[in-house]
Amino acid sequence: MSTTDIRSRKPRVKNRRPSWDDEPSLLGKLTKAAFLICYAAAIIIPLWAVVATSFASEEALNKAGGNLLLLPTELSLRAYEEIFSGGALTDSLILTIILTAGGTAISMVLTIGAAYGLSRPGSLAHRPLLMLILFTFLFAPGMYPSFLVVQKLGLFDSYWSLILPMALNAFNLIVLRSFFMNSVPTELIDAAKMDGAGEFRILFKLVLPMSKAILAVIALFYAVMYWNIYFQAVLYTPGLDTQPIQVVLQRMLMSTQGLPGAASNAAQYQSTAAAPTAALKMAVVVCTIVPIVIMYPFIQKHFTKAVITGAIKG
Amino acid sequence: MAALKTSALPAAGRAPERPRIGRKQTVRQRLRHDWPLLVLTLPALAQLAVFFYWPSSWNIIAFMDYSPYRSFWENPFVGFAWFERLFSDPYFMPALVNTLQFAFAQLLFVFPLSIVLALVMHSVISTRVRSVFQSIVYLPYFFSWVLVVTVFVQMLGSDGLVSNWLLGFGGDRIDVTADPDSFMFLAWMQWSWKDAGWGMIIFLAALSSINPSLYEAAAVDGASRWRRMWHITLPGIRPVIVLLLILQIGTILTVGFEQYQLQREAVGYQTTEVLDTFVYYRSIIGTEGESFGTAAGLFKGVIGLVLVLVANNVAHRLGEQGIYQKS
Repeated sequence: MSTTDIRSRKPRVKNRRPSWDDEPSLLGKLTKAAFLICYAAAIIIPLWAVVATSFASEEALNKAGGNLLLLPTELSLRAYEEIFSGGALTDSLILTIILTAGGTAISMVLTIGAAYGLSRPGSLAHRPLLMLILFTFLFAPGMYPSFLVVQKLGLFDSYWSLILPMALNAFNLIVLRSFFMNSVPTELIDAAKMDGAGEFRILFKLVLPMSKAILAVIALFYAVMYWNIYFQAVLYTPGLDTQPIQVVLQRMLMSTQGLPGAASNAAQYQSTAAAPTAALKMAVVVCTIVPIVIMYPFIQKHFTKAVITGAIKG
Repeated sequence: MAALKTSALPAAGRAPERPRIGRKQTVRQRLRHDWPLLVLTLPALAQLAVFFYWPSSWNIIAFMDYSPYRSFWENPFVGFAWFERLFSDPYFMPALVNTLQFAFAQLLFVFPLSIVLALVMHSVISTRVRSVFQSIVYLPYFFSWVLVVTVFVQMLGSDGLVSNWLLGFGGDRIDVTADPDSFMFLAWMQWSWKDAGWGMIIFLAALSSINPSLYEAAAVDGASRWRRMWHITLPGIRPVIVLLLILQIGTILTVGFEQYQLQREAVGYQTTEVLDTFVYYRSIIGTEGESFGTAAGLFKGVIGLVLVLVANNVAHRLGEQGIYQKS
């Protein structure tokens, strides 16, 4: 309901204050502008510093005398060369890309299937099955039992444990389900049925092509989740040589915070014996940000809609 | 409309796409009709069964003296012994207190910030300015905690950018990122940086569903900007505020693992220990057994469940919709 309301109200005259509204005071306007600009700066400046540092040469960094700089006086691609030179960092990036792609595919199969399967109120066992899914919003099984189950399945120290345990997100499922229920016209489905199409045909030929945008958003949500995997890797796969990129980043960070015991951890990720340079670390940060920033405009375009359907309709 | 619906469609209501003859269809008939839907749902149900319901049922070992070297039924039931042990554990109470502190701090300081951000953003007339700021403000929501902590250490750590500026101006180095006393402030900055934008988006969506003619009517009647905000805007987004509050209260003991685990070494465990890190460090990589860790997790899960149900009930009493409707 809310989504259609918003859409239908959108085509108003752009950028004009409505006639009944009086102009706010200058002070109010300035405060507002200052607030927004400060807030945005607090997000932009660190990110800019990260990017700038990742391209800075050793000398420029030393001259700046810190971990970060805002304007590299001398550019260098050494950090990126090191990342992509085929060492442990390259392996980690490749692993994370494979995990993200594979995990997203599996998650989408589960989510689409259940969202469509549960989109017909009144079908056999519809209510109890839906309850089984909604219950996951209320309770969490706990870290230790989940860990035990992963162990019992023999998935400990296996990359599958980074995908299967969180392959299904009930929130995404409910969002997609309400889209199928509310935005795919029942008349079309009925007509297809009249023509003798089975459910699978209807799903693949009719419903999915109509839901491309929301499917893309949900896929991107899953992709971001898999890309950002850290906790599960710490918990389920501590013994593997090649770790997801977030774990590698964390180890690099620890190694320069000068903490006892951290250095040995980080050592195996270094091509040289020295602690990672600030530039190298920041280059890894950039590598973990770039995919998100690339996906971001697309998520953003469709995502408010998904949030409204999910959060307000519940 | 309603009259048309009931008169034109005899089987009005839940499944208009399928001719239903009351409830006379047998299960077998319905199965023949609905099996593709069930098959499609099956993979997701299997995933839930294995990774949600199976571990959930393993919580029973919180009431047993569990040992992995015995067969399951040989483990003796010990009642609430593990919970007693838990509450007498010298590290558990501090972890619980920390958890509650962080949770309430989030409710008090981050939640309102999202609302303020949304209100300010909503009052910006220019759509271009709005979309640029929105994109910036909620970008960090998609970053991992590792990334957020890294960026904060680089900015605010002892060798960070801010320290360097302060040195440049003749000041002293600061290190907010390794100081237990200021950890709450640091955590607040991190939550705001990472999550406030996300909350803002939800509130903005709620704000844009308020009927603009209400504002117009109020303005014509002479209501000032502030009065319009108080009497139209805030009541308009109240259901969403309540909904998010309930969801937050339900997850009050789940303040997250990563943020605290990542800063544990720098800040010290006394300040950063929360229930999840407690389970991890004491039970999974520590020496306390399975039952102990399970009991701690179950305590968290049950309190969370009770809190959601209570909060939702209170919301209903106050006349709000809550997360699920009363049927």
